[in-house]
Amino acid sequence: MPVETQKSAPTAPKKTEEQDPNYLKIRDVVYQECGIYHSEEKLYLLSGACKRRMPSTKTSDSRQYLELISNPATRVLEMRELLNEITIGETCLFRSPPQLAALQNVILPELIATRSKIGLRKLRIWSAGCSTGEEPYTLSMFLLEQSEKLLKGWTFEISATDLNDRSIETAKAGIYGDYALRNTSDLFKRKYFDPAVGEKLRVKSEVKAPITFSRLNLSDDSKMLFMKDLDLIFCCNVLIYFDVASKRRVVTHFFSGLHAPGYFFLGSAESLYQVSDQFRLVHLPGTTTYQKPLPGAAGGVKP
Amino acid sequence: MITTTNPELRKRVEKLRSLPSSPAVLKPLLDLLRQPPDNIPLERVVQLVSYEKTIAAQLLRIANSPLYGRARPAESIQAAIVTLGIQRIEDILLSNCIGNLIPPEKWVVDPGVFWRHSFGCALVCREFAQRIGYGDPEKAYLAGLLHDIGIVVNSLAYTEEYRVVLAAAVESGRPLDEQEQETLGFRHSESGAILAKTWQLPPAIAEVIEWHHAVAHGPEGNPLIAIVHLGDLLCRLRGLGYGYEEWRAIDLPADPAWIELAKHLPKIASIDLARFTLDLDAYVVRITTLVDGIFSLA
Repeated sequence: MPVETQKSAPTAPKKTEEQDPNYLKIRDVVYQECGIYHSEEKLYLLSGACKRRMPSTKTSDSRQYLELISNPATRVLEMRELLNEITIGETCLFRSPPQLAALQNVILPELIATRSKIGLRKLRIWSAGCSTGEEPYTLSMFLLEQSEKLLKGWTFEISATDLNDRSIETAKAGIYGDYALRNTSDLFKRKYFDPAVGEKLRVKSEVKAPITFSRLNLSDDSKMLFMKDLDLIFCCNVLIYFDVASKRRVVTHFFSGLHAPGYFFLGSAESLYQVSDQFRLVHLPGTTTYQKPLPGAAGGVKP
Repeated sequence: MITTTNPELRKRVEKLRSLPSSPAVLKPLLDLLRQPPDNIPLERVVQLVSYEKTIAAQLLRIANSPLYGRARPAESIQAAIVTLGIQRIEDILLSNCIGNLIPPEKWVVDPGVFWRHSFGCALVCREFAQRIGYGDPEKAYLAGLLHDIGIVVNSLAYTEEYRVVLAAAVESGRPLDEQEQETLGFRHSESGAILAKTWQLPPAIAEVIEWHHAVAHGPEGNPLIAIVHLGDLLCRLRGLGYGYEEWRAIDLPADPAWIELAKHLPKIASIDLARFTLDLDAYVVRITTLVDGIFSLA
């Protein structure tokens, strides 16, 4: 990779309203309640979302909105609406290139090495809260690309679940427009998609084949017990809607469903802080993930 | 204490003494700037800066850059100093001084990349030091800023060999210091330590320069070494590294430096590492503005 990769200067953060102390307080409330964190340069996303909520909540400035989101009587409902605003437009194919780069260069080689030792040549991946299918299709294309390289002689299957029936139906259809495809390269569009209605594209059957779509409520403990033998779990911007107790239950299921070492990916601004100390936060170039360590590894899990 | 026994390295680095030394005003200026802000006499700073024409000119240029958006240009040294603030003047002085050591064509790591890493590490170390309750965050800043001067030494004393080292590290995604060890037989921490001694840097800072890649072998009782080791790792995995991605997964709380720090600073156990990491992303913007401000205008 060229040495110049870091040269392009990101745009400077806007100065004025993002330093508004009310938005900093709203940021902390959102973080404590949901585990989604807006650092200084992302604060404009939060203030933008708050402003879009102001007309329908009859609030007119950050101070009034902070009151609304802190007030026990209005907090729960408004938080849900605010989170919808925050995550709007978040979904697209190939949303997080650093995550895929880390999978390719660090995590897949490690998984292949550890699984080969016990004679396994199959990967099981779960996209928990797959929404309209962008994430599982991205993973499927990514792994198909590796099938002649890292994953030669391996098979993989992807479970894609969501609570919402309509999302699952949309996901199964696999038809996407420009906006969802904004991060997809022309090469991949040609290789893995067919033309559909209008300007839209439909994912090819080979991309769909490894994926099983189904409806699943992450709070349904009896169903969660069946999600086993996993190597990777992706659950992006889903747990933010859960309260801490439910979050802990879901994450405990994730932990027991994973092989060690296995990895659990959250959304790029999400944190498990004070939710789980079973997983270890692991740093990878440009991204982080949570690892279920091998038993007995240094600093390992509690028995 | 310098433990480097590589005589060839020592000989080459000692030749660096024959290079133009740092400006005479540097030491008194730094001593002055490191006082508590309330005690710094502005007139004395103005006076010292005025002695050194290149520094004075650079401060004026940066103060009048669009970065500061002044309505009226700063025409005096005093106006430039007030505009820039004490911390930034120290940054400019130190980077100027290290930058003067090396002619432009000898830089192996891109100087912009090097300074983004150095200032990035300085900021991260200061913030990390604060959050874990280390008593002197400003010292952590200075240690972070200077920890990699060995890279400048290598670029200067081993220019061609070092280009090979960097190219190999970029190609393989390996940590730079490991590649140095394999190809050159020593790390930038060793060559940096020799320069630190030559420049008579404060012992705590010199120890950081020498041991930040081998915390377990370094002297005990200097938490700065572990702080910089961890800050350095975080920067390199968060877009403020040496200009390429190092393909590895790092479990910071399992790092020996973290475990060692936890013995002295138990507060480290309660740090929200995920949040701290996300906060670093804002630094990338800040650092890029700072470094581009210093260098594109210099």
